[in-house]
Amino acid sequence: MTAIDDSTKPSGLSRQGSKGGRRKPAPSPWRAKKIQSDKNPGGLASLNGKWGYLFTAPFFVMFLIFGLAPIVYSTVIAFFNWDPIGDIEFIGLKNFEDLLADERFWLALGNTMEIWVLATFPALIGSIGLAAILRNKFLRGATAWRTVLLVPNITSVIAVAIVFGQLFGRDFGMINNVIELFGFPRVDFIEDSFASHVAIATMITWRWMGYNALIFLASMLAIPDELYESASLDGASAWQQFRYVTLPGLRNTITFVLIVGTIGGLQVFAEPLTLGGGLSGGSSRQFSTLTLFLYEQAFASYQWGYAAAVGILITFIVLIVSAINFAITRRLADENTR
Amino acid sequence: MAKFFAKKRVLAATSALALLSVLSIGIEPARSADAPVKITVWSFGDVIQRDLVRQYQALHPNVTIEYTKYNLDDVNGTKLITQCSAYKLTKKLGGPDIVAVEVAYSGKWRATPSCFQDLRKMATSDTNVAAGVKAGLSGSDLKADYLPWRWEQGVGYDDSVIGIPTDVGGLEVAYRSDLFKAAGLPSERVAVGKLWPTWDKFIETGKKYVAKLTAAQKKKNFAFIDDAGSIYTAMLNQGTAKYYENNGTDAGKLVYKTNPAIKKAWDATVKAMDSGISSKTAQFTADWPVGMNNGKFAVILSPAWMTEYIKAQAPTTKGKWDIAEIPVGGGNQGGTQLTIPAGSVYKQEAYDFMTWYLAPAQQLQMFKKFGLFPSTLASYKDPAVADFKDPFFNNAPVGKIYGDGMLKLKPIFEGTCQRAIDMAFGAGLGRVQAKKQTSAASWTATLAALSKDKCLTSGN
Repeated sequence: MTAIDDSTKPSGLSRQGSKGGRRKPAPSPWRAKKIQSDKNPGGLASLNGKWGYLFTAPFFVMFLIFGLAPIVYSTVIAFFNWDPIGDIEFIGLKNFEDLLADERFWLALGNTMEIWVLATFPALIGSIGLAAILRNKFLRGATAWRTVLLVPNITSVIAVAIVFGQLFGRDFGMINNVIELFGFPRVDFIEDSFASHVAIATMITWRWMGYNALIFLASMLAIPDELYESASLDGASAWQQFRYVTLPGLRNTITFVLIVGTIGGLQVFAEPLTLGGGLSGGSSRQFSTLTLFLYEQAFASYQWGYAAAVGILITFIVLIVSAINFAITRRLADENTR
Repeated sequence: MAKFFAKKRVLAATSALALLSVLSIGIEPARSADAPVKITVWSFGDVIQRDLVRQYQALHPNVTIEYTKYNLDDVNGTKLITQCSAYKLTKKLGGPDIVAVEVAYSGKWRATPSCFQDLRKMATSDTNVAAGVKAGLSGSDLKADYLPWRWEQGVGYDDSVIGIPTDVGGLEVAYRSDLFKAAGLPSERVAVGKLWPTWDKFIETGKKYVAKLTAAQKKKNFAFIDDAGSIYTAMLNQGTAKYYENNGTDAGKLVYKTNPAIKKAWDATVKAMDSGISSKTAQFTADWPVGMNNGKFAVILSPAWMTEYIKAQAPTTKGKWDIAEIPVGGGNQGGTQLTIPAGSVYKQEAYDFMTWYLAPAQQLQMFKKFGLFPSTLASYKDPAVADFKDPFFNNAPVGKIYGDGMLKLKPIFEGTCQRAIDMAFGAGLGRVQAKKQTSAASWTATLAALSKDKCLTSGN
């Protein structure tokens, strides 16, 4: 429907065409089709609504089975003492009460937030920077570069973990060799709490920065060239153009990337699992994240009800953090455009 | 209106069809002896060997064995749990016919034997008589063929038989004879074994070794043993009770706070850590194989299956390694049983394959080809095992050293939450090693954490 409505407005092309005189624009093909379908109420078009349901059905069927059903199931079992292969007993809200009093949960929440901050904000700046470089008209082999950016994203997390495990090794890792070269003491990237968060954040950043850069690039390319032209006519420097033209144009994209990043970042799992230390996330749980804690409760302690309660709390935490993100980025963007 | 009813009729027909197809899965089809059978096996590591599977398929052209090698934690910690959970909810047959269960996970499985077919109620058919497996053997009949403590690891706490043992882990000391010599220690394996009749003497030897290391080496954590934490597991497995005592119930009695063996193993491990003999290189991390190659550590407490791993990771150190007896004598780490999940469709065929695959003749083949130690008693008298020498380990009589150690062990009652408790104590020792906590503080913190762990408090 929207396409048909659009055709009634003057498009850019028809405006150009009418430059010479005030000729009536030729009817667009969309318009012609609409007239035809009005005359012909039978056929495919008359079924438009119903066929739409059929074509979108695979997604909804999949969502029902793999999305909604597990959500309902885990919501139900969160109120039980639920051993997957043993006894099941209804215990009401006890799982939630215990969880809020469980210091392991709060520790995991703190770790997750710290990793999320470390992985999100430097990567956000980095990916906007990368996108700005890729937008450069004089860059050769732009398509090749864009493809390269996606490679980390399609590499298996386990493979990434093995390679980073070598890089971050305490005694023979390359990063520590460099650190030592500059005269600093070697860092234990597994036992040290903050260092382990940096290691995990690096893996996440490496994985997602290129992907986000492509999203930012698409958004940048949608900013009309005229804005840049008039900005440079007004004497704006490259930095000022970036600051006052590009960044405000990316407002929605930044919000989108941040929220998607929040949803993913608060569920970080494979990286801390493969960093070493097993399901508990290190000897003092220094890199135990919320999802790793959930997994540990479900599959090492066989507490599916408790694990489900963790899952439900993660959902609420993601909602809250996303809402805060949304509010902050909105406000920042508004200030930008002012 | 007519259209509405037509729609309804279609709906009814489809739902009836769907219901039928669901029901039909539950009906076991009658099979003739030669009907094609596909046995699905969930495995990990080296448990299932392609060579032997091919041999079995050649003997039984109608049988296909489809085995998948998973990550150990995926198959034992996750997949088998969801599988059994689904089976208990739906009672629907399907899924794997054989699953390999590792001893670190078996505490929970032995407490939940309903997830498995009780092998006491199975009997071998006559299909493998020509290959040396008699017909009519139940799980109980097979017991006498296997190492008693290994057999026990596959017995449910209600005395049902849920698994048959594959190879044996065993545990002895793999050491670098060249580095021992350089440090002025005896390097011949009998003399080395005599250095450490006890764990205390083992630590003393380590101190002497470390004293000869240079300052530059020590800075890079060069030391005596790869990870002192492995002493804890080794010592506990030399006893008869760990975190639980067998009190005749499924759950057993939790004794981790009072069992003196645990505090003793903890204290010895802390002593080893404090004396600086540990290179603090956790096994199976990135730094570990590097250390095997560059001499970062001179000693690994090595189960029999790990010798193959060392060979693969450090081929250039061939001949420099040797095997000596473990302190106190006898040790175990790892070990797997083959089980038949209760939801299996082809239980008889799976049982026939399993009993053939784990019979002495086949276990001997696996030892010769892949270095996996047999769990069958008869194999230890076989010259191929008893006289086996490994050139990688300086021609050490690997067969005799490991064989003698394995015959010394006794069964241990694992208990439902063994894995969670193991993880807690492991983390506690890790904190001491990383100097985050003193031994006493870490011990208290470990016990406190365990007393709140839901696996222990929920009574499952």
